Amino acid sequence: MKIATTRFGDVDVPESEVYSFPEGILGFSDIRQYVVLNNPKGGPFQWLQSLELPSLAFVVCDPRIFMSDYKIKVKEEDISSIKLYDIAGGFVLVIVTVPKDPMEMTANLLGPLIFNPKEKLAKQLVLSESGYTTKHKILKGDEQGSVKD
Amino acid sequence: MLVLTRQTNEVIMIGDAIEITIVSVKGDKVRIGIAAPHNIPVHRKEVYLAIRQANIEAASVDREAADKLHALEDLIVKNRGNV
Repeated sequence: MKIATTRFGDVDVPESEVYSFPEGILGFSDIRQYVVLNNPKGGPFQWLQSLELPSLAFVVCDPRIFMSDYKIKVKEEDISSIKLYDIAGGFVLVIVTVPKDPMEMTANLLGPLIFNPKEKLAKQLVLSESGYTTKHKILKGDEQGSVKD
Repeated sequence: MLVLTRQTNEVIMIGDAIEITIVSVKGDKVRIGIAAPHNIPVHRKEVYLAIRQANIEAASVDREAADKLHALEDLIVKNRGNV
């Protein structure tokens, strides 16, 4: 199927790769359908592209690329809404904020996205008591932005 | 806003499906139990707002910066040993 995107123009994606977010993403709760696109120029970052809103796309990446011991703790009911009954069957991506200076990019480790590839369902988790922040600095530099409460 | 007075272990119903229980009160801290259907997310407001704000910021990616993303791979440091 062809999807319209502001960033990449029309993109052909298999219908089987479309993920539904039954609860949406916080702040964008009306938008429910997304695909994960690889960055056209390669590299570790991908795009979570909305199907309903061509202009809406988030930079996402596997958090273990920059934090090898990133862990999420979820309760059964947190992931049962996406029919994920065994966490090992899912995968996690985090949303990355890319400001003008990409060296300042941050990752939202407090609200990771969890995907159930089998059911093509996904949701944004809220890891309230994890100590993670929404602005973890990905690239080398000072520790600002990863300070904990 | 509706304001109700409740004692420890008393419950408030919101519709048929949401129960709010006052678990304990200690000084200025109140522990609240919330039972809600799975499709109703329950969050501390400050955490909810922080994540929503981060999502909104992340949705506007600087175009030039986005074009450089692929080049950053080598700069990413493995960040070990916290949390």
